[in-house]
Amino acid sequence: MVQTRRDFLKRTAALSAASYLGILLPFKDVGNALAADETTWHRGSCRLCGTGCRLELGVKSGLPVALRGVPQSRTNMGYLCMKGMHFWKLMNHADRLTTPLYRAKKSDKFKKISWDEAMNIAADKFASAVKEHGNNSVAYYGSGQALTEETYLFQKIFRGGLQTNNVEGNPRLCMASAVGGYMTSFGADEPIGGYADIEKADCFFIIGSNMAEAHPVIFRRVMRRKLDNPKVTVINADPRISLTSRIADIHLQFNPGTDLALLNALAYVIIDEKLHNEQFINDYVTFKKSKGDTIDFEEYKKSLVDYTPEKAATIMGGKVTADQIREVARKFATSKGTLSMWTMGLNQRKQGVWANNLVHNLHILTGQLLKEGADSLSLTGQPNACGGVREGGGLCHILPGHRPVEKEAMRNQVEEAWGIPKGRIPAEPGLHTMAMFSAVNEGKIKAMWINCTSPAQSLPNCNKYNKGLAKDDTFVVCTDIFPTLTTELAANLVLPTAFHFEKTGVYGCTERRSQITRKAINPPKGAKPEVEIVRDWATLLAKKLNDPVIDQCIKPFIGLEPEYALPKAIWEEYSQKLTKGRDSDLSGAPYEVLEGMYDGVQWPAPTVEYAKTGGTVKKFVRGMDPLAEKLKTDDKPYQFYGAGHPDHKLWVWMRPQANPEEMPDADYPFYLSTGRIIDHWHTMSMTGRIPELLRANPYSYIEINPKDATRLGIKPGDMIEITSRRGTNIMPAKVYEGPIEGMVFAYWHDQHPDRMINKVTMDAIDPGSKEPEFKICACKIKKVSGPQALKPYVV
Amino acid sequence: MRKCSGFTLLLASLCLALICACAQDSGSSPSESIKHPEITEQEKLLPCSECHQQATPEVYEQWFNSLHGIGMVKCYQCHGTYENFKVEPATSVCATCHMDMIEKCPKDQKCWACHTPHSFKRANK
Repeated sequence: MVQTRRDFLKRTAALSAASYLGILLPFKDVGNALAADETTWHRGSCRLCGTGCRLELGVKSGLPVALRGVPQSRTNMGYLCMKGMHFWKLMNHADRLTTPLYRAKKSDKFKKISWDEAMNIAADKFASAVKEHGNNSVAYYGSGQALTEETYLFQKIFRGGLQTNNVEGNPRLCMASAVGGYMTSFGADEPIGGYADIEKADCFFIIGSNMAEAHPVIFRRVMRRKLDNPKVTVINADPRISLTSRIADIHLQFNPGTDLALLNALAYVIIDEKLHNEQFINDYVTFKKSKGDTIDFEEYKKSLVDYTPEKAATIMGGKVTADQIREVARKFATSKGTLSMWTMGLNQRKQGVWANNLVHNLHILTGQLLKEGADSLSLTGQPNACGGVREGGGLCHILPGHRPVEKEAMRNQVEEAWGIPKGRIPAEPGLHTMAMFSAVNEGKIKAMWINCTSPAQSLPNCNKYNKGLAKDDTFVVCTDIFPTLTTELAANLVLPTAFHFEKTGVYGCTERRSQITRKAINPPKGAKPEVEIVRDWATLLAKKLNDPVIDQCIKPFIGLEPEYALPKAIWEEYSQKLTKGRDSDLSGAPYEVLEGMYDGVQWPAPTVEYAKTGGTVKKFVRGMDPLAEKLKTDDKPYQFYGAGHPDHKLWVWMRPQANPEEMPDADYPFYLSTGRIIDHWHTMSMTGRIPELLRANPYSYIEINPKDATRLGIKPGDMIEITSRRGTNIMPAKVYEGPIEGMVFAYWHDQHPDRMINKVTMDAIDPGSKEPEFKICACKIKKVSGPQALKPYVV
Repeated sequence: MRKCSGFTLLLASLCLALICACAQDSGSSPSESIKHPEITEQEKLLPCSECHQQATPEVYEQWFNSLHGIGMVKCYQCHGTYENFKVEPATSVCATCHMDMIEKCPKDQKCWACHTPHSFKRANK
């Protein structure tokens, strides 16, 4: 029976409070993904998540008209998610920044200035900061969405030119714990396998990931594998039942932060029931209590006695049974191939590295690695967090090519490649992200360049750091395509940049795969590619600081046209000089090779001939990985050549259950967690400007378990105040059998000051990875009113 | 009450238009002239499925349990949003993800000649 419209509206008003909005929603009735004769199609990568979907931009009369998937691509097989289908609508959006904007004081209004003026101001401010306050008074804060060429060039100028390792980026907020996990468990960063394992796996262990919304196209592959093969087991472990749970055979729902107990309990069962792979362990495994403290299998086994399934079930809150833990352990260990996948639920934690280690432990103990369908696969959030930032030198402690800053020989290799004097790159790692913004608060950073990201919204406990960003102590340059909360709050100088497909460059996705996107359309008049901006700025810096070494840093790039020749030259330098001989070897993948591939190249790819096959599907396997053969130390089939493990073994770690930094208590009785929704990307500065996506989820809401809602008298749509020790939000309630009882969950895309959940979240960090614990803090909630009219808000 | 009747009538018209559209293999579609029932700016901010769970529950169920529903391909991707709403999507919309299949498809047939709308199960021949 069709409900009446009046009844229907009554109900939906209670579900989603909404009101008329005063926001520009331009509609163009185009989007034709079938080729008209006059439409040309240009292959590239998706601009949004870390999956690395390949797509084609349709261009007609110089204007974008549609996007469509590339069926031959091994990442997405032609499929796109809704964000990926729509982002072409940003290319000619009326809100695009097209003129440099400047204000001397952050309380002033911006005024339009010329590019020459803008470059002079930027160079002046950074040069004077260095002269007056020293090299470490300047900083770069970049993005996992910048092209590799961009991140590489920025960090080259900062490290080699300005002599500071204050080079960071937002990947610190999302995958630093995954780096720590791979380095400490496998001795080398980034996964052994990749997406090709999905179609071979018989058991999926998804933990801390709502991939149905955060990585929809990877989820589609898992869904397809499950639906086509009902005997395939999907296990979803998460404190919140999500859309990902729809394909799960088993959902393990536990109190936030207790998953370390779960993972240890799975290891307990695996060993207790002798499901471990003894031969694999004998051949390839070292057990570790701490970095310098090697133990044996028996000691490791003894450490697990605190994690019997019964004990773990109690620690986890009682919703998961001991029998369920045993069942999951058996399926994990005995399937033909088990593939674990996770994202921020493990990474954005004070115990993020430990949680990563504990997943790896299960794969190492069972030998569910290095074979078809088996891998321990961290899904990356951003399109170039792996390629540009992890590999390209975009974090304060890592130089290009996975080289630790602290090692002199590594610094010297980079200095030699750049033709700059030895000792030019400082020996000390720079400030990690949270330390960098703390230094801004303290007035120690005098000039900062923020590229393609909005920390005013995306930092945890952002009220605290926005105080510093708003002060005039720090001169801030922002490069971006749209205004953001950061440009409005923090920037003195805003430089308009070219968007995806308006410039050329490479993205490297989750599975060690580098893929090129060539320029297909012109940027709006006035916007420039970042590589051109950085080169021009560095040219002026060299003059103002009278420093020929800065000139040397950009010498290979002088005079090159910025649309293709310039990024190509940067990629040539990076891939040929900085990756050659490293585990992330891409020397076989110059632009010409990448352009010839539907879907790019997986490193290591040391020769052109090999790169043209697509590169290395499985690392460390002789016969599949050229470096495994080249660097072998014995005749065994697997060779763990990663620089992090001198014994060439995989390391199983003792990692006990440990609570989050902040636990619920009498004053703040709820756990708060946050996450993505499928329709929006990060801080919504892009997806909030696409009408279809904005309308699908115009604002954030707080998910509350029905039992908690009943207890507190909260009804759907009621306005709820969410308060932590750091800040307050007010947003509508969604009463939903999602979060476990005692937990609430909010989306983090909303820019509205009342609904910006990072005012409430926690900035405690993992001591190893320095990644903040976005995912868990304590809060209290109370109803402040019934449903209210709300406005979507995009700055 | 007048509003309720009007809305129900419009929904019925939409369903009829969809059935008509699906029955056609080629030629001009009657659905091109069908617009979404008028809604307020406030209502435009509701996800389509939130209304259609109530307004067209059968269609919602078919979609929710389909590959599109599980895979989170939402209503607006095929049908657009209010201003660019189409009862019968253009085949080109399918091409966004299914270009390879469309190239194999006879030119005089639309996707839904074989794949039932919303459930996307292949129709029995």
